[in-house]
Formats: sequence, structure tokens, C-alpha cells
Amino acid sequence: MKVSAIELDSARKVYGHGASAMVALSDVDLSIGPGRFVSLIGPSGCGKSTLLRLVAGLETADGGSVRVHGVTPDQACAAKLIGFVPQTPALLPWRSVLGNVTLPQRINTAAARRRERIGDLGERGAGKAPPDMLELLRRAGLGEVVHRLPAQLSGGMQQRTAIVRAFGLQPDVMLMDEPFSALDEFTRETLQDQLLDLWDELKTTVLFITHSVQEAVRLSDTVVVMAPRPGRIVDVIDIDLPRPRNQRLFEQSSFHEYEDLIRDRLHRAWRSADAA
Amino acid sequence: MSIVPEQVAPEQAAPAQPAVAGPPAEPSRYSLKHPRSRIGWIRPAVWLPLVAMLAILGALWQWGAAKLPYLLPPLPSIGRSLSDDFGYYLKNAGITLGEAAAGLAISFVAAFVLAVLVSEVPVVRRAVMPIAVVLNVTPVVAIAPALVVAFGFGATPKLVITALICFFPILINTTTGLRSVPQQVLQVYRTMDASRLEMLAYVRVPNALPYLFAALRIVSPLSVIGAVVAELSASGSTGGLGTVISTASSMNNLAVVYASIFVLALMGVLVMLVITLAERRALHWHESSSSDRTK
Ligand SMILES: Nc1ncnc2c1ncn2[C@@H]1O[C@H](COP(=O)(O)OP(=O)(O)O)[C@@H](O)[C@H]1O
Ligand SMILES: [Mg+2]
Repeated sequence: MKVSAIELDSARKVYGHGASAMVALSDVDLSIGPGRFVSLIGPSGCGKSTLLRLVAGLETADGGSVRVHGVTPDQACAAKLIGFVPQTPALLPWRSVLGNVTLPQRINTAAARRRERIGDLGERGAGKAPPDMLELLRRAGLGEVVHRLPAQLSGGMQQRTAIVRAFGLQPDVMLMDEPFSALDEFTRETLQDQLLDLWDELKTTVLFITHSVQEAVRLSDTVVVMAPRPGRIVDVIDIDLPRPRNQRLFEQSSFHEYEDLIRDRLHRAWRSADAA
Repeated sequence: MSIVPEQVAPEQAAPAQPAVAGPPAEPSRYSLKHPRSRIGWIRPAVWLPLVAMLAILGALWQWGAAKLPYLLPPLPSIGRSLSDDFGYYLKNAGITLGEAAAGLAISFVAAFVLAVLVSEVPVVRRAVMPIAVVLNVTPVVAIAPALVVAFGFGATPKLVITALICFFPILINTTTGLRSVPQQVLQVYRTMDASRLEMLAYVRVPNALPYLFAALRIVSPLSVIGAVVAELSASGSTGGLGTVISTASSMNNLAVVYASIFVLALMGVLVMLVITLAERRALHWHESSSSDRTK
């Protein structure tokens, strides 16, 4: 039997108690197969980050279950199955670019042994050699700045460093919370290209939060549309466009049809939220 | 098992983390790549105001010394005392500096260990931090005479007083630094299941370094003050500039008193210089290390 990379089963999250209780996620079901690129999109406050934090083991569900490759998020973290890219680069300012991306290899060195004991991951990653971080940095366009400090980099370079740090873990699941939202459009498109390039090579499952419809369609195999109050999934749309998806994609009418479809679903999500 | 003094209510625990020195990340006006040119000191506009001010102060001093001979010794007599008894001042400065440095070192180690405990264990934090905040604003030098009564004229009361003075600023600042790691950085390393020790070694302690140096800037002059006050309180101590001052003032030897104070000032500058150099080395990545603090 094939195990989902990410599986949420009636997952529920409530913030606060009693009268001030806020249902951030209400009975969310979601199943993501290994190697898929899935985007979460929805109005702000609909629980996207909460969902990601549940999968990352940074918060615990108040109901239902969350599984990563068949184990709990905490076990997944202990085995270093998860690569996490937050909204800010979150680099250590005293370490160089290279120092930042190589640090994860020195942390939790017992993880590899734990990983081997998890379901079908054992054979998949058996004898996995640690990646050549310099090569990864070069591929991400950071070859010239490996010895610089984060403060000496542009915002786009810092975010790229954060992405390389996460890929350097060779994670089975990559969780990214609006990683490109603070960047200008040109930088954003370049980073999308590089992300797809790395993803294609490393075959990682990606759960990617964005508020850009175009970004979601361009990157994803599947787009998950969410609605607020209470936070829930309202639509799951498979994007049936050929890969590799380069700049020419923007000229295709099918690309824009997907964009229109998702915009329409988002508006409906908005209206249902206002009515509630 | 309530051993917390009652004047410290638990509610006070919440706002109990003011950095002693404001967050040390103040943006510097001089960037790393353009250190202020040293050539600038050749221009009279740079050095003339200071020299003129010193000349005025010197003249005022001499005038005061002529009018109030029992308050101010003439400047040349201070200079003569310094050059005639140079070895004597050097020896006593060494004693005072040794006491200050030893007290500071003891305090540093103890406060650092406690700061790690406080930042890692919430119960310890709630018990300790309110007390630390209160004691931090208490002038602990005031217990110097009592310490002398308790510990005698040896080195012990001097070490205890300097260590006490330095302890709370280091504790509070280091705790703040250990706890001020941005949330998203913590999240990244938590998803790798970094152990507490790894988190401390790779993330929290380096993050606390700028706060620690800010604390050292505050306590290093305080440590010298502590040593001198302890010496002053123990008339009959074996040495140290505080002892020199108290002996000289009892014999109305003003030149020696002011010469000692001058040496103490030099000592303070020297200590600051050492800390600044250490800070530049350790915090090359931090913006505060590139700012010009000695101007
Ligand atoms: N730690 C928290 N405590 C209380 N409420 C929270 C917390 N985190 C998120 N929320 C609330 O939960 C809802 C969903 O938040 P979030 O997951 O951040 O939404 P999104 O990422 O989609 O913008 C919001 O209304 C937010 O105010
Ligand atoms: Mg969010």
C-alpha cells in the first residue's frame, strides 16, 4: 500500500477558549501523494499557516489526525523528513551563507537512523549521501556569495539561501509559507524557476502557501482553495499543464483558464465567508 | 515551598525582561565599509575644540587650586606625584584592577549559567527574574561596609562586592538575548528537532552575544567602582587605589588622591578599549560592532 506524504484526517485547530474561541481549522481532510507539488491559496486568516504548522509539528491538532509518511509530525521532525521555509528567510546573521545552509547537517545527527525505520522511506533513501551544498548554492545562483553574511545579501538572495537550507536536508516533505511574497515580481519569477528546478531533481513533496493565483497555477500539480471562518478547504483543483513550465506557459490560454477558475472559486469563498 | 519574597508578586514576572542596555542593534551611522578616516584627526576642526576645552578646564582648575588650596591640589603637583611614585601607583592599580577583573569573571560565569537556566526553565524564570530586576536597580555597593565586617580586610569582600554589582546586569541582558531569537528561526530549527543543547550552542548563545557585550560595557566600569568602594570601606586594607585614596585623604595629601583618581580613569579607558576590541572580533557580523563608540 502506498502511504500519503501528507495526510490530514478531520484535522481541527481552535485558538482560545470559551466565548473567545476561534476555529482556525474545521475538519480538514487532505491527502497529498509523494512527489506532488501542492499549493494552498485563500484569503488571509483562512488558516493556511495554521495548517502548515500542524504538518510541521509546530502546533498540535485539537482533533482529527495529521500524518507525514504515516508517522506523526513530531516523529517526522525527529527523522528530519521535513524542510520548512518560513515567510522570512530566518537566517542566522552571524553565519555565512554556506554556514547557514550546512548547519542542518550538524543538527540532530541521529535522524538518519530514525528515518530508515519509517515505512517505505527506508529503501527509498538508503545510503543517501549528504548533498554537495556548494553545488546546490551554485545552482540557486548563490555561487558568488557563499562566504557573505546574510546582511550583505538582497532579499531575494536571502530567501534563496533559506530554500537551499531546506533542500539541503533532502527532506521528504517541503513546507513553504509564502516564501516569495516579500519579493518583487522579477525576482519572484526567477526564484520560481529555481524552485521548480530543485524540486524536479530532488523529487520532494511540496506544500506551498501563496496568495498569488498565477504563482499557484504555474508551480502546482494541485491547487487547494481555502475559505475562512471557519478555516476549511472548499476546492481541490488539479492543474493539468505540461512540465517543464517555463515563461512560454504564460502565453497559453489553458494557463489563463486555470487562473480564471481559481479566481472564481476564491471569490465564492469570500462571499460565503461574508454571508456567514 | 514558596521561598520567593512576598514583595515580588507573580504578576511582576511578565514585564520582567527589560534589557539593561536597550537592544544593542541600534543602526550604526558609520557602515562597515567606510570606517571613519583616521586622517580626519589631523584637521584642527576635529581636535581643536577638545584641546581648547581641556585648556579652559585646566586654567579653571589652577585658579580654583589657588583660591581653595584645601580642596584642589595644583596640577603640577599631581603630575609630580605620578611620575615620582609611578611604580607605587602601578602596583596599587594592579591590585584594584585584579580585584575588579576577578569579581567580574566570577560574576560572568555565574550569571551566564543562571541566564541559561532562566531562559530554559520557565519555573526558574518566574522565581528569579522579578528578584533580579529589583536587585538590579538596588545600589548594592551600599552593603560594602557590612561585607567588610563579615569578611575582613582581605580580598574576599572586594570580590564579593564587584561580583554582586556585575551579576544582575549580565543576568538580565544575557537572558534577554537568549530569549530574543526570532520566532521563525526557532521554528526552522524545531522542525529539524534540534536538541536544547544544539539550539543553545548554534542559535541562542550566539544570538545573546551582542546583549552580553552590552552588559560588559555597563558592568566593567561598575566593577572598578565596586573594588574601590570595598577598599575605601576597609580602612587598613593591604593595597589598591581605594586604600591609597583613603590613606592619603586622612593625611590631607590631595595630590595623591587626585593622582589616584586619574589612574582610575585611565584604567577605565583601558578596560573599555579591551572590551571594544573583543567585541569587534566576536561581533564582526553585528551592526553595533561597526559603530564608532569612542568618539
Ligand atoms: N497563535 C495564535 N493564537 C491565536 N489565534 C491565532 C494564532 N495563529 C493564528 N491565529 C488565528 O487563526 C486564523 C488563521 O490564521 P493563519 O493560519 O495565520 O491564516 P493565514 O495563514 O491563512 O493567513 C486567523 O484568524 C488568526 O488570527
Ligand atoms: Mg499565513
